Amino acid sequence: MKRNLSVLFSLVVLASMMLAACGGGVATEAPAVEPAATEAPAVEPAATEAPMAAYEGLMVEAPDCEYGGEFKSIEAVDELTVKITLCVPDPAFPSKIAFSSFAIQPTEYLESTGGNGDLLEKPVGTGPYMVSEWVRGDQLVFKANPNYWGEKAGSETLVFKWSAESAQRLLELQSGTVDGIDNVGPDDFATVEGDTNLSLLNRPALNIMYIGFNNNPQVEGFDNTTNPLANEKVRQAIAMGVDRNRIVDNFYPAGSEVASHFTPCSIPNGCVGDDWYAFDATAAKALLAEAGYPDGFETVLNYRDVVRGYLPDPNIVAQDLQAQLKENLNITLKIEVMESGAFLTAADAGQLPGLYMLGWGADYPDQTNFLGYHFGSGASKQFGDKFDDITSAIDSGAQLASDSDREPFYTDANNAIRTHVPMIPVAHGGSALAFQAAVTGAHASPLGNESFSVMSNGTDSFVWMQNAEPISLYCADETDGESLRACEQVTQSLLGYEIGGTAVEPVLAESYEVNGDLTEWTFKLRPGVLFSDGSSFDANDVVTSLSIQWDAANPLHTGNTGAFSYWSGLFGAFLNAPAE
Amino acid sequence: MTTETIPPVKLDASTLSLDSVSLWQITRRRLFRRKSSVVGMVILAILILIALTAQWIAPYSPTLSMLDAKPSQNVTKRSAPCIYALGCPTDQPQHIMGTDGNLRDEFSRMLYGARLSLMIGLSTVSFAIFIGTVLGALGGYFGGWIDNLIMRVMDVLLAFPSLLLAIAIVTVIGPGLINALLAIGIVSIPAYARVVRGSVLSVREMDYVSASRALGGNTYEILFKRILPNALTPLIVQGTLGIASAILDAAALSFLGLGAQPPTPEWGAMLGSERNQVFTAPHLVFYPGLAIMLTVLAFNLLGDGLRDALDPRLAHMS
Repeated sequence: MKRNLSVLFSLVVLASMMLAACGGGVATEAPAVEPAATEAPAVEPAATEAPMAAYEGLMVEAPDCEYGGEFKSIEAVDELTVKITLCVPDPAFPSKIAFSSFAIQPTEYLESTGGNGDLLEKPVGTGPYMVSEWVRGDQLVFKANPNYWGEKAGSETLVFKWSAESAQRLLELQSGTVDGIDNVGPDDFATVEGDTNLSLLNRPALNIMYIGFNNNPQVEGFDNTTNPLANEKVRQAIAMGVDRNRIVDNFYPAGSEVASHFTPCSIPNGCVGDDWYAFDATAAKALLAEAGYPDGFETVLNYRDVVRGYLPDPNIVAQDLQAQLKENLNITLKIEVMESGAFLTAADAGQLPGLYMLGWGADYPDQTNFLGYHFGSGASKQFGDKFDDITSAIDSGAQLASDSDREPFYTDANNAIRTHVPMIPVAHGGSALAFQAAVTGAHASPLGNESFSVMSNGTDSFVWMQNAEPISLYCADETDGESLRACEQVTQSLLGYEIGGTAVEPVLAESYEVNGDLTEWTFKLRPGVLFSDGSSFDANDVVTSLSIQWDAANPLHTGNTGAFSYWSGLFGAFLNAPAE
Repeated sequence: MTTETIPPVKLDASTLSLDSVSLWQITRRRLFRRKSSVVGMVILAILILIALTAQWIAPYSPTLSMLDAKPSQNVTKRSAPCIYALGCPTDQPQHIMGTDGNLRDEFSRMLYGARLSLMIGLSTVSFAIFIGTVLGALGGYFGGWIDNLIMRVMDVLLAFPSLLLAIAIVTVIGPGLINALLAIGIVSIPAYARVVRGSVLSVREMDYVSASRALGGNTYEILFKRILPNALTPLIVQGTLGIASAILDAAALSFLGLGAQPPTPEWGAMLGSERNQVFTAPHLVFYPGLAIMLTVLAFNLLGDGLRDALDPRLAHMS
């Protein structure tokens, strides 16, 4: 009797579990059919051409192009075709859309996370690896993705570790506990080169370190007086009063160069226009006096104490800058080191009160990634108020296809930047990675997106140590290279960059076509691709993943901070952006 | 620290007046008899001398980058020490302890650092002693709810690990040397308050205090003129040892970037900023580390010596 009862009970439990499972399935599928009941650019099934196809493709469309962004519509034409229509021609579009911020994740997964939460910790992608476990403050473990469509990952397990201390990174490499490290300390290059068990790989200096200014007249700390940095002459004086050669010669490793322009010269039209101000302490002092500050003033220098290729030794450079400005212009800098995430957020929002040191590593080799991202009309408020002559020149240049057509505009933009001095370009920093000599497939990417699936140390586990812990793994809403590199192992975009290089190559899209005026881009998707959670990849996933970022009214437009800086930096304003 | 177990010095007329040897003479005699405390005092004397004369004996300004030096010098950052007496070629500029990451003369920075460290130790401990003494004396003398209130607050402060509490305070009021000093001062208050309260509790029952009260002395006079001067000896020991821990705490805060801000030549900050060069330029972490160790050691040796010298139980040894 008792036995019968327990059998009955377990049957009931089983039945209820099945019911719950089915119910769950229905619940997650339901919103996919009628996503985002937002008013204006309602998502509606696109008219499918083939009458046979039962595929309901999504479409997100802007009512017009007045909202200030580059996108006009994203449309899933059929299961394996996505058409993106732009408001303006964009020759750099393939390079942009290949970036890891625009990676594709499954629609169902994105909706189940609500746009943050799990999404920040466990992205689901189509890449060679998937996130297995993230022990905050300790390590990030990836497992090979069994559903990966490409060549299998070189090792079953990939571990990301991090340490802000270059000495510790090197020590771990020497002791053999890690297989590769990022950013060898500038003083340690010779040590690595002299060690036959290790190999040093130089990463090309496709980056920029700059000293930014907050040029808003009223900022915190200057409540009762005008922020001296709002005065263009003051900024020019500082630009002339900083000996950038001295900084690069003394505090940067070999392979670095003084920046003549914001963008490195190896990028097309990178350094057209006049060279940056030559160091001239006397002229700088005179200009500062003319601006009304003959005795200098006091302000703050903010930075984050993290090592990046563009800034290998931030504390030392900060103190040299402090000494230089004191000596040359009698400007007293108060050094304030900030936590990395807080610093980036404050910089983006234009909340840093004075000068700050920050940098940028190329995501793709195009001016839109340098000038466009930082000074274009969609750029953040990191340099305070924008300058119309800079933004208009950049936005016009970005629409032209050939480098020679773009040149006059970027010349104007560079010259206007030189005049207004929203920042001082300091250095293109050389940096190096180090690996165990036995590692096969080791490479250094100029874009900082090393691919570990092609590397192997002969065992089934590969350990990589970088400078810092990723901030989150939803890279649509991250800008930090340490986060992006982790995402790049897991998620993929329509296009991608060649391993160890900058050329764009097909990834989730097998091919694309574009119309004559570079506004209609049709991507043919790779068939048979599965996400790491087993769901299949189709055109609607592309529409959802991109429209979450584009459409500010999308309920999933939340992310980690909600800034989605890459989207606005590369594609201008958001759709349905709340009025400021 | 175990100062609470030390009974306060009880002065009775016999030791004081018979052969007219004062307490301080006895103490001094005992102090100099101990070798370890003499070592502590010698180190301390040298440190004080360096601190007082830093601007004359330092070859360079502690914040001057050799890139700005006139005449200009041909040195690189983090260069090894160059001492002429030890065979360094005289065509190179002499830097006794080498240069740091910003090409500043490490030796000059070390000298100025001594001034800063002593200043840190003395000022935080004076601050803590002042506040702690007032609080402890009030609590001990008046007792009742005043005592309860003060000592419970002190207990709460004591419940936190002192460095963690200091970090929390600095995080709230912002990094900087002064703020760090304030934080360290605040977290050291309870130790002094307790010591003073203990002493006051025992001293206030002494006959001469009762006598003073009977003579109609007011509260202020009794507390500050009769009781406190006779309750101070344990405080001296606690204070000396406290300077050592204050210097160490300040160095730790500066190492973490919460204390002295660049380019201030503070030993902890100097150690922190060159921590990645421990293999490539070991002298830059060795010297500040050594200096912190010696200073703390000196205060600890002196404190131990003082404790023994002031201990009345050892009176027969004099």
